Amino acid sequence: MTTNGDDAVRVVPVRHYGRWVGVAVALVVFAMVVHTLFFRVASAKVSCRLIDGVKSCHHLMVWRFQWNIVGQYFFTSEILHGLLRTLFLTVVAMAIGITLGVSLAVMRLSPNRVLSIVAWVYTWFFRGTPVLVQLLFWSFIGLFYPHITIGIPFTHVTFVHINSNTSVTVMEACALGLGLNEGAYMSEIARAGLISVDEGQIEAATSLGMTRRQTLRLVTIPQAMRVIIPPTGNEVISMLKTTSLVSTVGVIDLLGAATNIYSANYEIVPLLLVASLWYLTVTTVLSIGQFYLERRFARGALRSPPPTPLQRLRADLATVRNSTTALVSRSRRV
Amino acid sequence: MVKIRGVHKSYNGVAVLKGVDLDVARGEVTCLIGPSGSGKSTLLRCINHLEKHDSGELRVDGELVGYEMRNGKLHELSDKRICQNRSHIGMVFQRFNLFQHFTVLDNITIGQMKVLGVDRASAVKKARELLARVGLKDKESSYPSQLSGGQQQRVAIARALAMDPKLMLFDEPTSALDPELVGEVLEVMKDLARSGMTMIVVTHEIGFAREVATSVYFLDGGVIEESGDPRDVLANPSSERLKNFLSKVL
Repeated sequence: MTTNGDDAVRVVPVRHYGRWVGVAVALVVFAMVVHTLFFRVASAKVSCRLIDGVKSCHHLMVWRFQWNIVGQYFFTSEILHGLLRTLFLTVVAMAIGITLGVSLAVMRLSPNRVLSIVAWVYTWFFRGTPVLVQLLFWSFIGLFYPHITIGIPFTHVTFVHINSNTSVTVMEACALGLGLNEGAYMSEIARAGLISVDEGQIEAATSLGMTRRQTLRLVTIPQAMRVIIPPTGNEVISMLKTTSLVSTVGVIDLLGAATNIYSANYEIVPLLLVASLWYLTVTTVLSIGQFYLERRFARGALRSPPPTPLQRLRADLATVRNSTTALVSRSRRV
Repeated sequence: MVKIRGVHKSYNGVAVLKGVDLDVARGEVTCLIGPSGSGKSTLLRCINHLEKHDSGELRVDGELVGYEMRNGKLHELSDKRICQNRSHIGMVFQRFNLFQHFTVLDNITIGQMKVLGVDRASAVKKARELLARVGLKDKESSYPSQLSGGQQQRVAIARALAMDPKLMLFDEPTSALDPELVGEVLEVMKDLARSGMTMIVVTHEIGFAREVATSVYFLDGGVIEESGDPRDVLANPSSERLKNFLSKVL
């Protein structure tokens, strides 16, 4: 039996009727959501005009979610400054978190018991206490440690001296606090990645004469990245929103800026939408970045890398085009 | 080249090697045979210090493996020295263990560049020569996952050879291969043996041992049960256990 050429036996695909019903329901629900979000509804306000001496009245049409006000505040400098602070905190906290996390994971897997236990205790403590408490603690660090010095421990020899009350801003303290907390979570993610690498890879590197450090850097970490990236992407996106806790210690981030504005003008919902839309925008950019990063580190792990959304779209279009041409040519023959 | 005297090794109290003696001269091909769990692989892994032996003397090229004799005391070598010594011993694994995230070419150049400090151009040149030698000239930009088992194992041999080893260790190099792919790997190994490479091969390929090996050691229960010229040992085994073993694998 052949399925190509003019004498081809026609293949009738299975019809998934249940699936079609599902698609129809989903589309209707989607249309309803779009309608409530973006179509105007009659408000309680009535506007009247005199046309040719006759009073004509109608209800004012408004957006349920006041998109006009959202648009008005979307690019205000207060919001944009808040967004910058949020981005700064996310980037710095994640940089600290990832560096610390990888170091802790390596320590945890070290044959040296002391290093391993220190890493465990760190993770235990920072995962076990609320991040809000940690944030409050770090922002009041000057209360406990007014002077931070670098020198020889237990002597009076010092090389660097920092007055923590004046030199460390609340913003820096927040970035540090979030980063130290993140380090504990990242260490478990990094450890999962490191132990997922096949023992044979490490033996092969070792028998080539690579040192432990070279093996880790050239063989183990690059292969662990495949496992580490998806949950790390999760952590970055989660951190983006966790940074909004800093408003409790007086740093005005994106959400803080929105709160400040609506506490003055009572446009609560539109300003919350402004903040949410910005968070969504940044999350979108991060997700795209994650996709390409994953693709890069999947090299060699898969026989062919997964298609990019653009490639998939092209492939889908090609399928549609081919089936239409097939239909057209069949109808011509008939 | 390799001299082993009374080497013992145990894992968590279970003795795997119970006093093994073995000698390999330069240019010789030595095959280690024996039932699984007899300690063949462990012995091989002790030779490049992937496993630490508990006691006994183990020398490669006259030098102690993993230790140094100073003032009548054995000193453990630093990690750096151990790594240096390992780089002169090539190892080929049962499961190939090619670096999955590198292309074939990078697999062969990485050791030369990072361990031996060879520059990229010469490393690539050597890698290409070796790929031609194992018959995989056109595969340099493939990833290991795109190759068959036999091809992967040949790349693994090329990777080990790129380090200019004075000794090659093979840990059951054909055991994970489909039967029709065993031949291509054995062919590369025979070619290597003819070129005068010193080789220690843990194998179940009795045919290979008979054809290529200078000497055969039969391990059972952590001791060398019988050893000697393969034509004698394999044709007229004296011990009951070797007879038994051969009747099962042949």
